[in-house]
Amino acid sequence: MKTSRLERIFLNIAIILAIAFFMMPLFWLLTTAFKFGREAFAIPPKWIFFDFTLRNFQEVIQNTKVFRYLTNSIIITTGATVFSLLLGVPAGYAIARSKSGLINTASYFFLLLLMIPPIAMLIPFYLIMRDLHLLGTYAAVIILDTVFDASFVVWMMRSYFQDVPQEMEEAALVDGASHLDAFLKIALPLSLPGIVASALYCIIFSWNDFLFALMLTSPKTKTIPLGILASFSSVEISWGIMAVMSIFAIIPAVIISLFLNRYFVQGLTMGAAKG
Amino acid sequence: MKRLVQALRNVERHYLLLLAPLLVFVVAIAIYPLLFSVSISFFKYRLTDPTQTKTFLGLANYITAFQDEQVRKALANTLVFVFGTVTTELTVGLGLALLLSAETRLMQFIRSWLLMPMAIPPLVVGLVWRSLYNVDFGVIPYYLKLLGFDLGRGPLGESATAMAAVILVDLWEWSPLLMVIFLAGLKSLPSEPYEAARVDGANRWQRFIHITLPLLQPVFLVGLLLRTMQSFKVFDIIYATTAGGPGTTTTVLNYHIYTVGMTFFNMGYAAALANILLVVVAILSILYVMVLEQRQL
Repeated sequence: MKTSRLERIFLNIAIILAIAFFMMPLFWLLTTAFKFGREAFAIPPKWIFFDFTLRNFQEVIQNTKVFRYLTNSIIITTGATVFSLLLGVPAGYAIARSKSGLINTASYFFLLLLMIPPIAMLIPFYLIMRDLHLLGTYAAVIILDTVFDASFVVWMMRSYFQDVPQEMEEAALVDGASHLDAFLKIALPLSLPGIVASALYCIIFSWNDFLFALMLTSPKTKTIPLGILASFSSVEISWGIMAVMSIFAIIPAVIISLFLNRYFVQGLTMGAAKG
Repeated sequence: MKRLVQALRNVERHYLLLLAPLLVFVVAIAIYPLLFSVSISFFKYRLTDPTQTKTFLGLANYITAFQDEQVRKALANTLVFVFGTVTTELTVGLGLALLLSAETRLMQFIRSWLLMPMAIPPLVVGLVWRSLYNVDFGVIPYYLKLLGFDLGRGPLGESATAMAAVILVDLWEWSPLLMVIFLAGLKSLPSEPYEAARVDGANRWQRFIHITLPLLQPVFLVGLLLRTMQSFKVFDIIYATTAGGPGTTTTVLNYHIYTVGMTFFNMGYAAALANILLVVVAILSILYVMVLEQRQL
């Protein structure tokens, strides 16, 4: 695997270009948040040397309902994540351990569900929620998020439980423990990393969701992506304010990709590639 | 029938109890709306109609859909978008995986940063790129102009470039996912073929073409199908960047359904279109499941 010098230079250039391409929009977002309006529009663009200001942050905190939006996002994300884990983890365990063909087939049912284009469910769901007078409530969004989140959790936890050795559970069953005990006291603690990975996926999915929130929330229950859009269309387009609100919106993404990336990658490869 | 009874008898009750809550929830919440969607697709049903009458149309909504010029355009746009995103993302994803596969601290650090695009709300991704593309003060048109390309109304405003510009946004967001998938694939490659190739004196490029690529084929297929299905569902990015324009250049089927349903409130027709999309995606999904099954994971 010897690489010549020329080759190494070429590869390093490629790596630098890749980093530049993927980091440029994020860098732009970060710097715009700290720029005065006129500097955000400056041509040629000021990448590094600009007048630093916190005015955009001040304005967002004073003039927008950013904390309302964040609270709504947190409520919906927490609700959907908790329900998805409560429903999805036991179901994933049942599918992984069961020898019955019917139960095993159920896993593909959840996989298919995961692949439904949301819009196909959204129109009837909107009409049903309207008739139930649930439009604009947290519940409507949480319920719909949970359908998709929980289907992923099942799929993910199934492959996780399959990798957890069964001997201890079997020994416990022989000693007279119930199946529920075997699940709660033995399998569950062993599969904690898988549960963390599933939870991260639910958090990202619900936090980032835009379409469901767009159609099902009211001004009182708007989540952060909708809040960004709302601040955008009113009065004038201020990219500084947009940037500041976006920074609030990407906090979970930053935390997860930089500090919890081990679990995040596991979730992606297990849920996607491994199946 | 006998076999079904037998299969039902084989169901372990304790496992069914663990599965049941989710199954009941999903059937109530997901299956019912889907059936509802099938039923209203046979009706003329406009939410804006003050009397809220539903007129039975039979298959008329579906027949209209197949003759509708706008639907055909949207379908063609969808295919261009899906093809454009999936091919470029697979290429870039594989490239990134090969470039950054070394297990050094630095590479791990770079890779964790590259995970960020796909974790960011797609709406934010779209808005950021929209401002980068902005014709008056955007960074991209400015540098393009320096290079001698003057795009009159900016990359998103010209119908010749709008689709490519949107595909680039999607590429930015989703190639890292394929990088992760390919990295997992690269790690699981056996080392024997490489040793044999070294004995035979194969160079780097030959090893890549004749060993790595063929061995990665299953991973390729998984990535291809996964991203194809996801790409069919694109919405947020289009909403944030072009809103389907200019004209209908970037109106993909998903976005068109949203417009018909939520802007014109033509629910019956929108449901019929959604069902057509559903069938297309279901076929892809079944293919995906079959591929996964064959891999026996």
